[in-house]
Amino acid sequence: MKNTDLIKLPFSKNNPILVQVLGVCSCLAVTAQLKPAFVMAISVTVVVALANLIISLMRNTIPPRIRIIVQLVVVSTLVVLVDQVLKAYVYDVSKQLSVFVGLIITNCIVMGRLEAFAMVQKPWPSLLDGIGNGLGYSVILIVLGAVRELFGSGSLWGFPVMEKLGLYRIGYENNGLMIMPPMALILVGLIIWWHRSKNKELCEQ
Amino acid sequence: MKKTFSNTYIFVYSAVLVVVAALILTVVSVSLKPSQEKNQQAETKQMILKTIGIDATRDNADELYAQNIKESSLNGNDYFTFPGGVIIPLKGTGLWGPIWGYLAFDDGGSVKGAVFDHKGETPGLGGEISSDKFASRFIGKQMCEEPIHLKKNADKDNPYEVDAISGGTMTSNGVTAMLATAYEKYSDVIPCYEDCEAISALMMEEEEQ
Repeated sequence: MKNTDLIKLPFSKNNPILVQVLGVCSCLAVTAQLKPAFVMAISVTVVVALANLIISLMRNTIPPRIRIIVQLVVVSTLVVLVDQVLKAYVYDVSKQLSVFVGLIITNCIVMGRLEAFAMVQKPWPSLLDGIGNGLGYSVILIVLGAVRELFGSGSLWGFPVMEKLGLYRIGYENNGLMIMPPMALILVGLIIWWHRSKNKELCEQ
Repeated sequence: MKKTFSNTYIFVYSAVLVVVAALILTVVSVSLKPSQEKNQQAETKQMILKTIGIDATRDNADELYAQNIKESSLNGNDYFTFPGGVIIPLKGTGLWGPIWGYLAFDDGGSVKGAVFDHKGETPGLGGEISSDKFASRFIGKQMCEEPIHLKKNADKDNPYEVDAISGGTMTSNGVTAMLATAYEKYSDVIPCYEDCEAISALMMEEEEQ
């Protein structure tokens, strides 16, 4: 596989959410609004990339029988470390991030990529794979966050779009279902449907 | 191609890994603690100042706090006073962890300002309690005879009702419980419209005499 593919493929043909179906839990939890979705997207990208790099460097020393535990220790140390540093130097960012710390550690994409890629690949491709998958995840999160905030709360990034357009005065109402997690699952389903219809080779026979 | 590892190797490997991780975290945590605590204290002061409409930055929070806020306590419960009213602290639990906040009352007994914050409520749902939009719903309410409670489709004119967060019912319930606890502790401190009425009635009587 070429290095550019490592960045490019996760956007579409090997998207972590749409194709690998990893990281769906956090994708349902944090996409009620655009801003937290964005913060989560960036955090996961950074963590997957770094964890991939570190695990790849360690890969030949890790005993297979305890590899999951080793991965977990590395990921959680990394996340807590980053959170501590942010808390000391960029307190506001850390406040945004604090609720995500647990969600990042348990994010299936992180473990999935470590298991499937970093354990058997060299550090540089692993780093690229981490960045690629993080960004692929980010795209879906941001789309979901935008749609759910716009139709669920009538705003985008906190800006009251629907109110400014004057839609409430003509009887428009926000869709309460949009901000509930099940709606995110339905939206992901719709995106997967659309994505598969564009990429027939992904469909299982 | 697959390497085999002895049990001893596995034990030593995991022990070393955990110790190294713990060491890194300890060193970082201890060395960063002072600046983290400073940030947290400044944030608390910023929150308290915000309830009375002062937007402080992290740098001038200390100074503005010293100028405007006095700390008091009643039966071991700490609260704050500012020129023209009192601020009571709120502490409770949301869905995933602690929630807290401050509520400022003017001398007339109506809420002048509120702030809320949380440790780990779901962003976009329960986490919304920390937004200005939610806090502003408390302005003008009162806690004279009963605590304020959160309710779906709350009556805007009812001084004891505040609109709950849609999709954040558990956190909203936590806020209601937190307000009830605070009311129990601080009902003697919270100013009341009735007080004003009582005082004005007294004054009228005195005038009549």
